[in-house]
Amino acid sequence: MIQQIGKVVATERAPSTVDEFYFWTQKNLIIKPFDVIKVKHIKHSTTFGVVEEISHITDSASSLAGFISSDFGDVEATTNTNRIGMNYVKARVVGNTGSIYTPVLDGQPVSLADEDDIRQALGLSNVKHPVPCGYIEMYEENPITIPVHFNSHFLIGPEGAHLNISGISGLASKTSYAMFLMKALQDKYIKNAEGTNESVAFVVLNVKGRDLLGLDEENNELDDINKAIYLEKLGIPPTPFENVKYFYPYARVPESVTYGRDFDNQKDAGKAHQYAYTYESDKEKIEMLFANVDDTNETMSSIVAQIASENSEFSSITQWGDFKTKLSEYKQSGNTGKDKEITVLSWRKFSRHFNRVFDKNQHLFNDNIEGIEGGVRLQEAIQNINKNDVFVVDIAKLSEEMQGFVFGDVVSAIYDLKLGQIDHREEDDIPSKIIIFIDELNKYASKDIPKNSPILRRVLEVTERGRSLGIILFSAEQFKSDIHDRVKGNCATHAYGRSNAIEVSKSDYQYVPPVYKSMMTRLEQGEYILQNPIFRSLLNIKFPKPTYRQFKNG
Amino acid sequence: MKSIIEYIAEETHGKAYKSHRFCFDKEVPLPSLTYDESQTFTIRNDKYGETAPKKATSSLENLAKSLQREEEPIFSFFLDGSRRIYKVDDIEYQKRIFPIVGGQIGVACCERKSKDLFGKAILERHLVLSMPSAADLGQHHDLALGKMARDINASDRLQRLGLQLSTILKYEAKKSDKDKEEYMNLGTATIQDKMIECEKKVVDELVRKNLLHEDCYLIKDGSLQYPLSSKSDFRELAKYKANYRRVVGVSKSFNPEFSKDKQGRSNAASIANLPLYHRTPAAVFQESRVGNVFFSTWYVRIRDAKVTDSPFSGIVKIEKVLVTKHEEENGLDSGEVDRITANIINERNPVCYGKDQRWANHLYPIYLTESYLKSQYLSDLHFINLF
Repeated sequence: MIQQIGKVVATERAPSTVDEFYFWTQKNLIIKPFDVIKVKHIKHSTTFGVVEEISHITDSASSLAGFISSDFGDVEATTNTNRIGMNYVKARVVGNTGSIYTPVLDGQPVSLADEDDIRQALGLSNVKHPVPCGYIEMYEENPITIPVHFNSHFLIGPEGAHLNISGISGLASKTSYAMFLMKALQDKYIKNAEGTNESVAFVVLNVKGRDLLGLDEENNELDDINKAIYLEKLGIPPTPFENVKYFYPYARVPESVTYGRDFDNQKDAGKAHQYAYTYESDKEKIEMLFANVDDTNETMSSIVAQIASENSEFSSITQWGDFKTKLSEYKQSGNTGKDKEITVLSWRKFSRHFNRVFDKNQHLFNDNIEGIEGGVRLQEAIQNINKNDVFVVDIAKLSEEMQGFVFGDVVSAIYDLKLGQIDHREEDDIPSKIIIFIDELNKYASKDIPKNSPILRRVLEVTERGRSLGIILFSAEQFKSDIHDRVKGNCATHAYGRSNAIEVSKSDYQYVPPVYKSMMTRLEQGEYILQNPIFRSLLNIKFPKPTYRQFKNG
Repeated sequence: MKSIIEYIAEETHGKAYKSHRFCFDKEVPLPSLTYDESQTFTIRNDKYGETAPKKATSSLENLAKSLQREEEPIFSFFLDGSRRIYKVDDIEYQKRIFPIVGGQIGVACCERKSKDLFGKAILERHLVLSMPSAADLGQHHDLALGKMARDINASDRLQRLGLQLSTILKYEAKKSDKDKEEYMNLGTATIQDKMIECEKKVVDELVRKNLLHEDCYLIKDGSLQYPLSSKSDFRELAKYKANYRRVVGVSKSFNPEFSKDKQGRSNAASIANLPLYHRTPAAVFQESRVGNVFFSTWYVRIRDAKVTDSPFSGIVKIEKVLVTKHEEENGLDSGEVDRITANIINERNPVCYGKDQRWANHLYPIYLTESYLKSQYLSDLHFINLF
């Protein structure tokens, strides 16, 4: 039944426009931002609007009239008649059934929409290549729940790619949302109901505690309500991820470099490996240890280039230990090898920084890693990724520089794989889309990162050219405003979780209506505001609790 | 296509001048003492308007508070009538020039079902014209006016707009009235009378539907002293009294000079000095226009004098028709006077401060009714250009 809730008001001050209109409702009608409403329009068409702002107004000319109405400030004073008042709602136009975008007319009836209307209004009906991305709950009094789907072509390419999730740690559950989407994607491509040639694989970096170290284990705390949402609303089985492999940093005592406690079991099940870096194969990556070092004159990168050069004194070195020795020679005054352009001071700076990182993470620089049982070179392991695989690379307990190093390595490895630089793999065996998930993106791609940072360069490569190669970045951070503009700008999908008032006042949120901004500061866990090219407006969605094992104490 | 004025001129053998059209009403009402309003009534020096009058004024603050706590307000209906007058054109008849007076009449009655449920009960809206008797209307003026109204209503113009002229009135064009303004006033008076008729019709409708009873009174904005029509007879008088049994007239502005004490001296100073929530004793007077009808009238201060801008703002005049023979002889029961007054005091909030200059004398439900009524009028430009 159509429930009429008010009528359009178009006044001199607040006219109806192509984009927005205003209507009144009874003051006790419960309606909230993001609710969809519809208005009768010319030529028997219907215009759909999304509620933005709701104000309650009375005929009181000023606050003083309120004071006077209480017998000049007597708080006990009561009245026989309550002041005449109404709610005044601002709505944003999201579409018209006849594609008529002339403004809606004054006095036209406004009513709540039904499920089909809402789908049509928000662009949720007939979504091609659907991937569930949550569900919307609309209307307080007679709630309607509608599952929401992304068009996968706009989430992971080729039309649009990359997802950015922002929100306060803990309250926004950014990781859970990213994993929810990845679970939906994995499920979609394993089922492959559309019979496409496309395939996906995932590489996720675990940056915090044991967060992502139980992706293949069931979440025993998932209640029936959430299970029902997965099964009935979203059509996703509430099961953990499949084909999960874990990559832990190498150390003799694994616990010293990871928060994970199930390493042995996972290793026995063939799911866990340890990674480290050998000098011979990984020396070119040393530059990534200098991602956060201001290198305006590019001396550090010159040194790295020299080290990697076939003609340098470093070319005969095969072990990290020898490299260190060689390096200490270079920082002696008067001994800068053949290349006189690099000063001793620069070598000293390089050496100082390298040694600091090296000493802290010695276990990871292991030239014998391939000889150790379960040991792998991360680059090689990643380049062997198969369709529907989920690789979890644990970097939680590493130092910040080392985390960046590993992330950069992962990105490079995938980049090389997708560029076809790996000889031993058939093109058809390589997943057509590889999704990288990294939390705390601000560490690698914030506005403050030096422009010549090799990691930033790699991230930019992925966001700017990854779409066509099939490398998709799912990233998360606390404050979107910190992130490099070119990274944000290339993300087709943005998910906004709970944020704070300072953040939403930044220019990144300029286009977000004020009410939505303040809603962003109140969003609950499991609630997001989504922006995606196929949706006609921002959507306020919810998603169920994760299907994989949750570690309460990190 | 002929305009309505051209049609009227042709039909009544006059000559239309197509002169300037304008709204004749004064601008937004300001708080003022209505010194000029000639209310012709006689104060009965020998009687009070209530059964147990007190010598001094009495405070009703406590009664008002206890009624507000314990009882529902007795006022549920609020009535306001108003009209807007326009000079539509000048037409020449018998070598004299007469204005054709146009008017929009509206009478609204709103009902308060609860604190939050306030809405329209009855609305009467009329578009009228008033023309001079000097127009050539043939033998039967009423028939001719009726025919003209029907023809005008059948015109494409009004049909298209979905508007109807309710009636065409006639004002007496006395020869001595040289001044054109006077003709305007004569025309205005006929429209005013039509409005009063509408108000009475609305009250009559409420009574017929049994909506007014001892716990359900009506506040009428302004005085109750209606002139009865010239053909007034005993039956009409009786009906008027019966209908107005549960109606209280509350006037925002009044001429304090009309209030006299027992010795026939002006009472204005003592009204101005009324303390907050005090009422004067009720006086009784006989309205000469209405005929053999007695009214009880008294004043109450609903707003403290120190917060109002003149000594009489914050004071309202309350009137009630004395219905029974007993009431006519002894006045209203003092208890009822107190109860009505206390309820009026309780209507003082909220205020329309900032919206209406007369806020100190306004009662909010009446203000709402007035606002509603105003919202129902056609805009002045729209109305003027109909003709």
